[in-house]
Amino acid sequence: MTNTVTWARVKSPWVLHFNSGACNGCDIEIVALLTPKYDVERFGVKLEPSPRHADVLLVTGAVTKQCEERLKRVYDQMPQPKFVVAIGACACSGGVFAGCYNVAGGVDKVIPVTAYIPGCPPRPEAIMDGVVKLLNALNPPKPKKQPKGEKKAEPLKNEAESEASKAETVPVPEVKPVVEEAKVVAKQ
Amino acid sequence: MPNSNVNIISVIESKLKDKVQIQPGQLGTAAIATTNGLHREVIQTLLDADEKTAITSITGLDLGANLGLLYHIRTSNAFVTIRAEVPRESPKIQTITDIMPGAVFHELEVADLFGIVFEGHPSPGHFVLSDNWPEGVYPLRKDVNPYDVKLNPSKDVITQPSDGKQVKIVLGPQHPALLEPEKFVVTVDGETVTRVDPRVGYVHRGIEKATESRTFLQDVYLVERICGICNSIHACSFVETVEKILKIEVPQRAKYLRVIALELNRLHSHLLTLGHAGLEIGYETLFQYFWRDREPIMDLIELTSGNRVYSSLMTVGGVRRDIKEEDIPKIKATLTDLRKKLPFYRQVYEDEPSLKMRMKNVGVLKREDAIKLSVVGPVARGSGYDIDVRKDEPYEAYGEIPFKEIVYTQGDTWARMNVRMDEVEESINIIEYAIDNLPPGPFRVKAPRVVPAGEAVNRVEAPRGELFYYVKSNGTAMPERVKVRTPTYANIPAFLKTAIGESIADVPSNFVSLDPCFSCTDR
Repeated sequence: MTNTVTWARVKSPWVLHFNSGACNGCDIEIVALLTPKYDVERFGVKLEPSPRHADVLLVTGAVTKQCEERLKRVYDQMPQPKFVVAIGACACSGGVFAGCYNVAGGVDKVIPVTAYIPGCPPRPEAIMDGVVKLLNALNPPKPKKQPKGEKKAEPLKNEAESEASKAETVPVPEVKPVVEEAKVVAKQ
Repeated sequence: MPNSNVNIISVIESKLKDKVQIQPGQLGTAAIATTNGLHREVIQTLLDADEKTAITSITGLDLGANLGLLYHIRTSNAFVTIRAEVPRESPKIQTITDIMPGAVFHELEVADLFGIVFEGHPSPGHFVLSDNWPEGVYPLRKDVNPYDVKLNPSKDVITQPSDGKQVKIVLGPQHPALLEPEKFVVTVDGETVTRVDPRVGYVHRGIEKATESRTFLQDVYLVERICGICNSIHACSFVETVEKILKIEVPQRAKYLRVIALELNRLHSHLLTLGHAGLEIGYETLFQYFWRDREPIMDLIELTSGNRVYSSLMTVGGVRRDIKEEDIPKIKATLTDLRKKLPFYRQVYEDEPSLKMRMKNVGVLKREDAIKLSVVGPVARGSGYDIDVRKDEPYEAYGEIPFKEIVYTQGDTWARMNVRMDEVEESINIIEYAIDNLPPGPFRVKAPRVVPAGEAVNRVEAPRGELFYYVKSNGTAMPERVKVRTPTYANIPAFLKTAIGESIADVPSNFVSLDPCFSCTDR
């Protein structure tokens, strides 16, 4: 049963986009992903308007104090298991807006983040790469195929800081090393 | 009789000579210093003298013992700034919303950020800041430390109208039709909209305050990030304002290169909106087509600036990169391709019955309302209100480049989208002309990092309309105050006006025709 669920999830992840205070740069790149040149729907990725049907939450922008609660609420409404992808420098850390009076910080200050895609804004290819890597991590290749000693699990940077993460049962251990790779690739 | 050729300054001189102090050439055509309550009289004089008098912005200033107010008023041939001051202990001033309805949101913003009370304002309350903002903290005053601001616990209560007949529908902050988090509470009676309550500020980051703690050079990249769509125009307007204070002239080649960057920005922004409008009326194929054709423009932005979205091309004193000779054929070929596709889109707008049903006679804004509400850009031009800063007050190389000002008179959603469609073609013409007539020479002059004390205003035509900047320097490397008034902020009143009385189903199509950009609006 679990295998079937994982198979279904990897083949057809429904993503929800939430702008928590972005400048529109990353948001437009996410919309561009759906259009003919990039067309993420060929990976089964579908933009879903309701949090209740979504598997992956794509968050763009530094979290403003006014949006903070709303972001938490949207996250809480999503069914388990759920994954959060922080898209863009602002979502990763607050970016240029860190320290502004109405900015709470990066997304990981509010909800646990599974993958970070830096860039201002990240190119559509980088976003695609990040999401596909996240999906691959959900369905990792058999252990014998992996080279030994290369992938080492370590706790996510901000997992301990985030209160919400304590209550979560997101299967992160497989995801982490891949996230590191996503970062490197996306920077190019 | 209102006359558009009137010399505003001489009118004010003849009527209010003894009461106000006129400083020609400062902050636009002239700055007019007023004392207690006279700002209303000056504005009334301007309104009587010129039918196209409208408000661009109100800037708040922290002057120490006093709080300053700058009313920026545009007329058909002038741009006037009216100065007023109120004491810090009891910052009260009379509202101007009764004589100038377009000022409603501008006054709310100054009240929120500076704590100035506008006596007689029809709907006082928080607008930019959240409802649970701590009382008595006015973030743009100099004595507020941004790190100390803590919000009160929030109460999110929606009360239904009491008569039981009407229903409130809440759009947002997270809503599929809105890419950005904003809340609109629409009250409907049956299917007819009777009231719209906007609640912006979800994307308010406090960029105006942040500019005060960064250098002028860093600010170029910060203000660019006010908006991810019309980013070049923000950076361009900011550097132009700083150049005005520095009194440096940009080389001719830089002016043309800036025009190319700005028009590429306009192209991609208009194509985006035209597509988005298709999505909102349920015509998804049109959305996909427009966005397919937008991608080559993004490639051109990348080709000319090195970045796909944030071109980061503008800098004080010119531009940072020149156009490569070998890239010019590619740019021209891409633009020719796009031009060939335009007749198809025109035909869709002219002939497609479903599109016409969703757009024709939807959200009609009359010309007099457009002027009264002080709307800008394609929204104004779709209603026959011909303002285009590129024509009215040419900046950069726009004075030398021939192009048409697009004006439609119907005032509906269809007209507003067609203004954009025609402007796509004009933008292609402008870029081609600029490339063909690119002057030789340097593309950048050295500019000092420390800006002498002074202040300046600047207006440019962003894809969504007139964009206004005010910069005040105190003689250091960091600005004392930067004020930005973005086009969408001026256009929201148009939506509130036109949505009422129409069907709830027409709200998205009407709304998207304003080309709303809330990261701009909130800053």
